[in-house]
Amino acid sequence: MKSNGFEPRIIAFLCRWCAYAGADLAGVSRLEYPPNIVPILMPCSGRVDAQYVLLAFKNGADGVLIGGCHTPNDCHYISGNYKALKRYALLRKYLKDIGINPRRLRIEWISATEGQKFARVIEEFTNELKKLGPLKLR
Amino acid sequence: MEKIKVAIVPGAACGGCDVALANLGEKLLEATELIDIVFWPTVADFKIEDLEAVQSIDVGIFLGSIRLEDHVKKAKLLREKAKYVVAFGTCAIYGGLFGLGNLATREEILKKVYLDTPSTDNPEEKLPAQKVKIDGVDITPPALTEWNMPLNKVINVDLYVQGCPPIKDSINHFYEILASYASERKPIEKGLTIPGVKTLCDICPREKPEKIVIKSFKRVHEGKIDENLCFLAQGIICLGPITVAGCGAACISVNMPCRGCFGPPPDILDRAGKFISTIASLVKIDKEKELSDEELIRIVQEIADPVGTFHRFTFSSGIIDKKQEDV
Repeated sequence: MKSNGFEPRIIAFLCRWCAYAGADLAGVSRLEYPPNIVPILMPCSGRVDAQYVLLAFKNGADGVLIGGCHTPNDCHYISGNYKALKRYALLRKYLKDIGINPRRLRIEWISATEGQKFARVIEEFTNELKKLGPLKLR
Repeated sequence: MEKIKVAIVPGAACGGCDVALANLGEKLLEATELIDIVFWPTVADFKIEDLEAVQSIDVGIFLGSIRLEDHVKKAKLLREKAKYVVAFGTCAIYGGLFGLGNLATREEILKKVYLDTPSTDNPEEKLPAQKVKIDGVDITPPALTEWNMPLNKVINVDLYVQGCPPIKDSINHFYEILASYASERKPIEKGLTIPGVKTLCDICPREKPEKIVIKSFKRVHEGKIDENLCFLAQGIICLGPITVAGCGAACISVNMPCRGCFGPPPDILDRAGKFISTIASLVKIDKEKELSDEELIRIVQEIADPVGTFHRFTFSSGIIDKKQEDV
């Protein structure tokens, strides 16, 4: 099996108000989750440019997670999470067209109180990427 | 005064850049006082041996992208001999339309073009890079490189002239640089990009609403297009926001949206990435809280062919510049 011993590398762009705070809560609550993510603090999920996602894949990421506030009304900047959602939708189509499995890109709404959900998402995503195997670019 | 030596080398190109250079008009007569053209196969019968025979070149101008091993050889030879190398036109800088060839592997392309198309008559299954005998002469057509590449993936480039082809103003500007190098030996600024950094939207004469909202996507043949309103506000994809203003809004003024042939302004890393970020943000911006996440995703994914639309001229210079086999 190609996932044997393979530890995926996940770049997680987390919004500072919800998803990052959720990750903090998972930490202070001492929840266990796989150590495969590299969290990057973003001011808002709407600040995640699609170029950053492509750069992450180019530079060795096996998966990219965008974490933002719940729709419709949690976003600190009113609608940044919708920007992230719509970019994610188009980016998935783009990734499919250039031959990268779109399941390597994931978006999740995680609030500051959802440490449990954060741990679960990382666990799920890590397992899914283990099944997909490493992203090998030509 | 000693004339400067200039070589003009075509790669994978359509010939439009040659025409654009010839379009200097009466300046060409003046140019012959300053410039000695040592290699330009489009206008006279030059072979690669002629380029090899030149001792040194002052300015080498490369037109077109890299698609044949032959282009790689010529580009490297040019870099070896020339003090300055200029990437002239979209193909040389960004790979151009040929870049979309990177959506298939070399083997797939050769198979499709030389064997599979219904109009092909090739019983011996001959492919390029194999020796063939034509009228008693052995010929080996050049081999395709594995992928299409812009010039700066093969050699270092000193100066960029954007355009498809570059317009007269850019060529005049470029000519001034050449002329002051020829007459005063004024060094050419390395890394300079002509025409510059403004985007097409900056100079677009169309009316732009305060807030651009895309309700649904429309293609140019679907319905009437308002001649005075921003294309994006009408739901028509226009690459103005990520295209450098050098063309004088040629397409815009005849009611056609921008396809992005002049390439991006310098601070864009990946054109498709940047445009995905731009266009997705505009979709249903007034109603997003009333729609479900799934509905929004569906509307955004109505855009047909994001690679061919956003990266039409720049795919082989993007962050991910070729088709992967991950799916």
